[in-house]
Amino acid sequence: MNKEAIQDLLYKMADDALIIGHRNSEWTGIGPMLEEDLAFASMAQDKVGHAQALYQICHEVFGDKDPDTIAFHREEKEFKCCQLVELPIGEYDFSLVRHFLFDHAELIRYEMLTTSTFQPLAQLARKVKGEIKYHVMHADSFLKQLAKGTEESHARMQSALNYAMPYALGIFEKSEYEDVLIKEGVFAGEDSLKEKWLEKITAIVTAAGLILPNVIDSNIIYGGRKGYHSKYLEPLLDEMTEVTRSDPRAEW
Amino acid sequence: MSLDPRVNRIDLHKVGSEEQHTNSHLITWEVFHQEKKGKQVIHVGIVHAPTPDLALILAKEQFGRRGATTNIWVTKTSDVYSFSSEDEDIFETTPEKTFRNPEFYKVRDRIEEYQAKHKTV
Amino acid sequence: MYGNTSLTAAEAKIMNQTVEDPILLEAFEAKIARGEKIEPNDWMPKEYRKQLIRMIEQHAHSEIVGALPEGTWITRAPNFRRKLALIAKVQDEVGHGQMLYSAAETLGKTREEMLNDLMNGKIKYINLFNYPANTWADIAVIFFLVDAAAIVNQTINAKGSYGPYCRALERICYEESFHLKQGHDNFVYLATGSQYQHDMLQEAMNRWYRPLIHFFGPPDRNSQHSEKLMKWKVKLASNDAMRNQFLDMYVSKILEVGITLPDPNLRRNADGIWEFSDPDWDEFKRVSSGDGPCNKERLEVRRYAEMAHRWVREALMNPSDKYKIPLA
Repeated sequence: MNKEAIQDLLYKMADDALIIGHRNSEWTGIGPMLEEDLAFASMAQDKVGHAQALYQICHEVFGDKDPDTIAFHREEKEFKCCQLVELPIGEYDFSLVRHFLFDHAELIRYEMLTTSTFQPLAQLARKVKGEIKYHVMHADSFLKQLAKGTEESHARMQSALNYAMPYALGIFEKSEYEDVLIKEGVFAGEDSLKEKWLEKITAIVTAAGLILPNVIDSNIIYGGRKGYHSKYLEPLLDEMTEVTRSDPRAEW
Repeated sequence: MSLDPRVNRIDLHKVGSEEQHTNSHLITWEVFHQEKKGKQVIHVGIVHAPTPDLALILAKEQFGRRGATTNIWVTKTSDVYSFSSEDEDIFETTPEKTFRNPEFYKVRDRIEEYQAKHKTV
Repeated sequence: MYGNTSLTAAEAKIMNQTVEDPILLEAFEAKIARGEKIEPNDWMPKEYRKQLIRMIEQHAHSEIVGALPEGTWITRAPNFRRKLALIAKVQDEVGHGQMLYSAAETLGKTREEMLNDLMNGKIKYINLFNYPANTWADIAVIFFLVDAAAIVNQTINAKGSYGPYCRALERICYEESFHLKQGHDNFVYLATGSQYQHDMLQEAMNRWYRPLIHFFGPPDRNSQHSEKLMKWKVKLASNDAMRNQFLDMYVSKILEVGITLPDPNLRRNADGIWEFSDPDWDEFKRVSSGDGPCNKERLEVRRYAEMAHRWVREALMNPSDKYKIPLA
């Protein structure tokens, strides 16, 4: 079992979940309608919970620090999230499209991991895949409804998709451990994930009457997995850790 | 400057300061919740939604985010029928129809009297 | 306010002068006296419907506006436990708002009309949320003591006469009990933590003391007489009685962790009545009428949430749908 390879995978999944959960929690109380406010908040909690569970595996299996320390006491360049999740919530159209693109990738990733040779991750994947399935159901239903709603909502969905797609493709940025993970049966790899993801979302987007933008390789936003982040991550982390840093040794 | 960093990221002035009218008018769906297989499916409230899919999705979080849930049903409010309040008097005498209740049938005394008389026990 | 009814002199006059069908009214009042509940399709006096709508609507507005000062600290919660609990708590407030708007809808006012009135400043909500949540410790105070005060109010009102409101309140009370435990947990951690944390909490407590006293509304001697509302079980306890119950239950919990209350006159007398310094009812009036530190921002954010998302709801609407008033 290659410890660094698995840790890399766990951290990138956890960091993605933490940051997108954090972003989506920003909608609580200011969403487009009461019931949707609630749904976004629940999904945000689920994601933050997944992050905690993944950090917990690192802590228990590899002796890393506890989840609170990992999440609240790391520098920006130590984070391995993709840049997609760092972007500000913007308006609801962007947040919904990000949720659609990211959550489909996450669901497929977890489905692939249910048969991982790394047991703790396989177990977690089997446990939480139902939750993520709901996230995808939610995203699909809203995307469909808004794509077919009015001229304005359709235009907004298309434009959000055009903007988000180069960032979304950055989810599949490969690490140096890609081959090891595939060889050891821990995870079947980003290429395989991307292929399944593209097939899935193309079908849904097309059925909704939208066009999935064709993004050339050089326009894909990479860097996050290697610690190169957008200008938004540092202020996000500063905000997230403001209270923790005000008295770092206190118990909150 | 707000104390809430989220509010500072919003362009509040996008919305004018004169009187505004929202358009928050969707139809409602009655929601039914089942806690455990084998138990009744119970009416718990409503959600506002445009389609059955969205009604289910939104009801899940409104009514199923705590405790146990095995399933949720929704139906449009306009598809639910009930008796009118003037006709609620049809139910008034039902509690008096004790011939329908098990407690109405008491035979212990008769059994004991018979046994005492005929010494059957 | 929070499930409370405060009448102005003009409103009290209208209520006392509105004429209802005497036979129906007598049957209605007898039903209530027997402890029976009124459901949406039952006959009800015009004033009963009107006062209930107003009370439930104000309560609903309070819940969703309350989500704003509490939400101020969501992105800054200092660890996983607090982060998850705070998102869950604020989400619950929105959920309570949803349930309460739904209960008010059964009486004939649409959610759209209610949100319009909120957004345009036409209907009040609990005064207390017009104050700012300056620090993380404010969250501990709100989460613990404001919810405690709300529970006192809601537990009493759950015994009211209107079915849909009672059912909503039962669910709300159940969820609030989680908030109370979480809030108390946070409060205790800060009070018993580092000097920095303790001082932050004390400073927050000093600021929130007066708004908490104001929470239950003006003293009975300054309130309009609402015997009809008491008879109809719309108002179930006096402001003073509820405030007293709250102080009975929670002052000791504050003091037991070394936090003080900024009122030298606060004490429980021999008759079991809590005495306290005059909390400045003029300030209460001013803030309720729109002149508080955060009134403007609260309304602006609500308007933003409504108006910037018009396009979403337009895309959700189906013009051929016919709205029907919810049933229960």
